[in-house]
Amino acid sequence: MNNGRKIKVLVSVIGLDGHFTGAQIVSRFLMDAGMEVVYLGIYQTPEMIVRAAIDESVDVIGISSHASNYGQIGLLIDLMKKNDLVDVPLICGGTIPKGEAEALIKRGVSKIFPPQSTSESIIEYIVSCARG
Amino acid sequence: MISMTVQKILNGDRRTAARLIRDIDDGIPGTREILKAIHRHTGKAYVIGITGSPGVGKSTLVDQMIHGLRRSGKTVGVLAIDPTSPFSGGAILGDRIRMQRHSLDDGVFIRSLATRGQFGGLTQSTRSAIDVLDAMGKDYIIVETVGVGQDEVDIARSADTTVIVVVPGMGDHIQAIKAGIFEVGDIFVINKSDRPDAEKTLHDLRALFDIARKKLTGEGWEPPILMAEAASNRGIAELLDEIEKHRKSRKTLSHETVIHRKQAVARDELIDMIKCRLFQEALDHITSSPEFKIYLDCVTEGTKDPYSACDELLSAKLCFIGDEVNRKPDLQEYLVAQK
Amino acid sequence: MKRETDYGYEIKPVYTPEDIADLDYTKDVGDPGAYPYVRGYHPNGYRNRVWTRRMTAGIGSSKRTNEVLKRYREMGQTQGILVICDRPNAMPIDADHPMGRREAGVLGWHGASLLEFEELMDGIPLTGQSITLLGSSAMSCMRLAYVVALAEKRGMDFREVHGSVTEYPFCSTCGQTDHMPLDLLIKLWMDSSEFIVRNKIHMRSGILSQHFQESGGNNAQALAMEIAQLKELLGLLVNERGLDFDDLSLLPYELVSVGSRFFEEIAKVRALRRMYAKMAKETFKAKTDKACQLLISVHTSGRTMTYQQPLNNIARCAIQTLAGAIAGCTAIDNACLDNAHAEPSAFAARMSLNTQHIVSDETGVTDVTDPLAGSYFVEYLTSRIEEEAYKILKQIEDQGGMTAAVKKGYIHNMMEESARKRQKEIESGERLVVGVNELAIPPEEDDEIPIESVVASDSEEIAERMENWKRKRNIPLLKEAIARVYDDAKKGRNFNLMPSIIEAVKAYGTAGEITGVIRMANGYHYDPLEMIECPFAL
Repeated sequence: MNNGRKIKVLVSVIGLDGHFTGAQIVSRFLMDAGMEVVYLGIYQTPEMIVRAAIDESVDVIGISSHASNYGQIGLLIDLMKKNDLVDVPLICGGTIPKGEAEALIKRGVSKIFPPQSTSESIIEYIVSCARG
Repeated sequence: MISMTVQKILNGDRRTAARLIRDIDDGIPGTREILKAIHRHTGKAYVIGITGSPGVGKSTLVDQMIHGLRRSGKTVGVLAIDPTSPFSGGAILGDRIRMQRHSLDDGVFIRSLATRGQFGGLTQSTRSAIDVLDAMGKDYIIVETVGVGQDEVDIARSADTTVIVVVPGMGDHIQAIKAGIFEVGDIFVINKSDRPDAEKTLHDLRALFDIARKKLTGEGWEPPILMAEAASNRGIAELLDEIEKHRKSRKTLSHETVIHRKQAVARDELIDMIKCRLFQEALDHITSSPEFKIYLDCVTEGTKDPYSACDELLSAKLCFIGDEVNRKPDLQEYLVAQK
Repeated sequence: MKRETDYGYEIKPVYTPEDIADLDYTKDVGDPGAYPYVRGYHPNGYRNRVWTRRMTAGIGSSKRTNEVLKRYREMGQTQGILVICDRPNAMPIDADHPMGRREAGVLGWHGASLLEFEELMDGIPLTGQSITLLGSSAMSCMRLAYVVALAEKRGMDFREVHGSVTEYPFCSTCGQTDHMPLDLLIKLWMDSSEFIVRNKIHMRSGILSQHFQESGGNNAQALAMEIAQLKELLGLLVNERGLDFDDLSLLPYELVSVGSRFFEEIAKVRALRRMYAKMAKETFKAKTDKACQLLISVHTSGRTMTYQQPLNNIARCAIQTLAGAIAGCTAIDNACLDNAHAEPSAFAARMSLNTQHIVSDETGVTDVTDPLAGSYFVEYLTSRIEEEAYKILKQIEDQGGMTAAVKKGYIHNMMEESARKRQKEIESGERLVVGVNELAIPPEEDDEIPIESVVASDSEEIAERMENWKRKRNIPLLKEAIARVYDDAKKGRNFNLMPSIIEAVKAYGTAGEITGVIRMANGYHYDPLEMIECPFAL
């Protein structure tokens, strides 16, 4: 879906999660890989993330989740479908237990990166998504 | 197809507008035709430029301005510009964070842009994005610049009102406000005015004004200096009032002044547009030619100096450049001989 | 593999007397119980009292957390409880807020009202063990009010309760979910602290470096941060509230994050005691010995717990617990083996608590005080990290102190830079993490561990209960109490809000309501997320 375009990624923390370090580190290495990153920061609801993704016309959405509020990621994926964002892959990173991760993948999340994933693996995946 | 897109934008469809801005930014062919078609629907929005060095709180100020404008029922479009990293070509667009509380408001459209352009200053795509938001029917368009170098001056040309933001305690930085930027400011805001040096900053600004004002004659508008604390929404109502006053003052200008200004702006914009297109097309034309490759090899191998390579290439590829000395009647033959 | 400390000091293959030649034992180290307290505060160390071995609790409804606390008691945790709040509570917003509904009870206890605290403490004594409630700064006043109110209800003197329910105002800089503006957080922290000190309550206030370090900061930075925070906050109480520094000595406690860099972690804690003692004496002119002693608890590092091969975390936890014990501390709570997956399961919690008992009861670590003193390496490292921390401290002070450094983004940038460096070191293989970049196995072969699941309907249940319960309160009484909080909150930075907050808590005002009107009185929106309006006519 992306020919010679600059890759544009939305990075956000979801819900009331205040752990922003992970999201910031990811944003930084995506920038260093030549991507444009719309960084939303913390306290973002699924509704706010979807709206920003539409207004910013991004290629990929990345959510950093630290501990337990993956229920919100489920809401986000449902809302993305409802808003016709099916061509925008949703990738998540952080502390998501295996069982929950499998359930989220089934629900439509494209990829989940567990803690300690390398920046290289994340960049590679996003490039492959965006270049489709 | 074009007419459908245009119609959707005129109806304020955010998804279509967002996509178009993305395509413009990525230089996708075909966007120009849409821009041509929407251009006659532009000119209704009031464009406010916000500029000032990084860290002075521009985004927070914009956030509060959106809040104020929405309370009086106006629709708002925002273009927030962040710098592109010169090393990677990537960017972190983080201005939106401060404005996210408005993201679900249908009367607000916020868009982040990276500078991308290599000239510095306001990019052509930013100007086009202003047109798109204008065509969407936004009452106000706020453009938040990076606040470094040429873009501070550039924004004044595209904006109806230019707001320059400073913070106290920057002492010498005030002195460093380049004369050019000082002259383009319609309103000055001292943000974070709860800081100890606010009064001193006000004093310094006034002193500078006394010197600079001599150049700003005949306009009938004296740029006010306002105190604000954007983080706690102090001074924002006053800022919006002053913007309104400035808007009205522009209406009282004589017909000649208006025409004169319009002409100046149109001229600048047209020249910029030509410059931008000319540069890109000429560069593509030259760098994609087989001769470019040969010259490059010659320079690398040291068989030709870069000065001659540049002159000869330009003369060969762009017929209006260069002189007969550099123009080789049969370039291919000449190049083979050179090797 | 890198042979250097996490703050970039290259480690030599061997250390000799030369490395500590300029160290004067009496002046710079001293016996345990003697200034500058490098070796700890008690000559007999753990023989007097073994550190409090406790686990963090807090998930789901108050009743569910109460059950967990009782279960921990049965497992042998009788010296103290440690409860962490959920995220809505940390904001603070109530469970019936549109955002609260989705996350109430998800990551901790939803302590939004006195009712919740009553249910949390049902059948659990308020005294005879330490009561520690953690989770955010904005809730400090509320939690302190809960303790006062419940003690009164149980017919006891609240001065008999000991533990810690208040927390420093800088935690939101380090990834905690605290959404109150910093200046207001500082004001409220001063209110709760002044109330504690003036009423001589045996309650500590957490002034922590743990959040900072767990969010990415290194050992030397954490040490500098801790001292900078203490200096700023205790200074405020002295200067703005007119309190005597020696009376403040029983207020602060530090929760230090202890990771796997065994010797460095021990050096860090030893250096912290010396730095605090010097600051107390030199900056604040402390007159008593007690005032030179900072209470230190240990949290074994959650950041070091890997997602991959979670059972490896048992070994990490044991090493870190041993480091914490050798360093000398008042209490330890462990990160559990499932830390990178979910909230602690009963299995993981037992494992961690048992780890502490293995360390305290089987290794002999409690027999001798500060056993590593005199080690050339450890003494050198102690001085080295102190030196490094003083450099960073100076930078923070050059910014204008802790509050100014936070506002300028200095602390945040330091933390992020350090986190990024660590990420790079792991990716490049300069730092090895077993199961991640060494001896890794395919994900499908990974350890299966029990997972404490979060049920989305739990949040909704907490929310619905609150919604219905709110209507049944004594509304006129509540309105009056809330109005008083609002009026008092307009009386300026140094007008103490504790008395009116206590009354509002007794009238069952909630976290969202009480902090909401305090926000309003200070010119902010009632709701930190600006999604709902204030339900009271003020």
